[in-house]
Amino acid sequence: MAEDGTAKKGPARRPGVCIPWEEKRKEFPSFTGDEEIVKRIWEENDTLGYIYIWHCLLSF
Amino acid sequence: MAPDMEKLYAERLKRYVTAMRNGKPDRIPIRPFVAEFTAKYAGYTAQEVTQDYRKAFAAARKCAADFDWDAVVGNMVYVWTGVTQAIGTKYYATPGIELSPNTGFQFIEPPEEKAFMRPDEYDELIEDPTGFLFNVWLPRISADVCPKGEPVSFRNNLSFLKGGMAMLSYFSAFGTQAALLRKESGTVSAIAGILKAPLDILADKLRGYIGLTMDLFERPEKVLAACEALMPHLTYVALSGADPEKNLPVSIWMHRGGVPFVTREQFERFYWPTLKPIIQEIWAKGHQVLFYAEGNWSAHLESFAELPEASIIYHVDRDDIFRVHQVLGEKFCLSGGIPNTLLAFGTPDDVRAHCKRVIHGVARDGGYILDACAIVQNEAKVENMRAMTEFTREYGVY
Repeated sequence: MAEDGTAKKGPARRPGVCIPWEEKRKEFPSFTGDEEIVKRIWEENDTLGYIYIWHCLLSF
Repeated sequence: MAPDMEKLYAERLKRYVTAMRNGKPDRIPIRPFVAEFTAKYAGYTAQEVTQDYRKAFAAARKCAADFDWDAVVGNMVYVWTGVTQAIGTKYYATPGIELSPNTGFQFIEPPEEKAFMRPDEYDELIEDPTGFLFNVWLPRISADVCPKGEPVSFRNNLSFLKGGMAMLSYFSAFGTQAALLRKESGTVSAIAGILKAPLDILADKLRGYIGLTMDLFERPEKVLAACEALMPHLTYVALSGADPEKNLPVSIWMHRGGVPFVTREQFERFYWPTLKPIIQEIWAKGHQVLFYAEGNWSAHLESFAELPEASIIYHVDRDDIFRVHQVLGEKFCLSGGIPNTLLAFGTPDDVRAHCKRVIHGVARDGGYILDACAIVQNEAKVENMRAMTEFTREYGVY
């Protein structure tokens, strides 16, 4: 993250994504269980944030 | 004995889908896009249906049941101001607050110098549209969201929490509404999913119409790159809300991307090349798009005719519906064509005569859905809506 709390500039965010799993994954030192579950749930909720901002633009 | 609503629903869905695929159903489907009219009919103010979506949903269901319509939108007073107030959105005038309780909500476009995106910010939008919306656009359109770099406030935090919860509450309620429409009156939900053209959304919510038209001359490459950067996101959002059964169309609300708002050359360079591939992508995934072509798009009908057969339903507002039928009728279903002024100021006889002319002119081989030209607000007379419905029920049988 940048000092002002916003996301650092980097490659353009893909559709459906706010914070990519590849970026979030670096915050976990390791996984004692199934990483895939953590990834899937992260991405599902991350997409909700994406849908929120785009519907702010398109629907409201 | 109570009517079999499941049987009625199945008949209506078949009728609606057959027409949308440009086929000939048993009779012309009736699918009016009724907004504040539902409030007038059900005994609510415009304020009540704008600020309390439960009343809006109840009014929509009452109209669907009483008028015996084939398909309706669950709530055509689509902007629930509970969401916009939770977010702190600045650009709406709301009935009962800034407007009379019986006036529909209004979008207030800021003056050019206060546009929500500045002309020197194209690169930031192009590089990361989602980041731009969160970091730059949202703090400008919200009275509560803090600008980037400023300390966050209590109201900033609440805006995200309440805005997200309110949006989830509202969108979730559409599922229940669709089920109630089906159960109570056998009515089909008319659309699923939303799309805007890249150039339209750039004009509406980012640069403003005046700013964008200047940009088209002063920085055309940036405008085109911005439209291209928006394309994958608009496609994603449209598909995320599309009907998994692939019966109902995604709706696109087209308004300012054609002549005379922009030149024909600008349409051909900016608007159409960044919209057509989205339609093709959505169609490739099995979904039709309802072209809700607000205003007059007659300068561009030949461009629309380039799209794959049956990929769109073309809704006629201010176009000459008979000419539209000549140009597009072989490939696409049409809807609309009944003027809102007629529904507001005409007589039932006038309405019946116009419906007869439209049906005779464009619907003889199917591929037509009865609707008003534009979204029906509370100026329409109940007796005229009834005349439009009842006449089409009788005369529109194949």
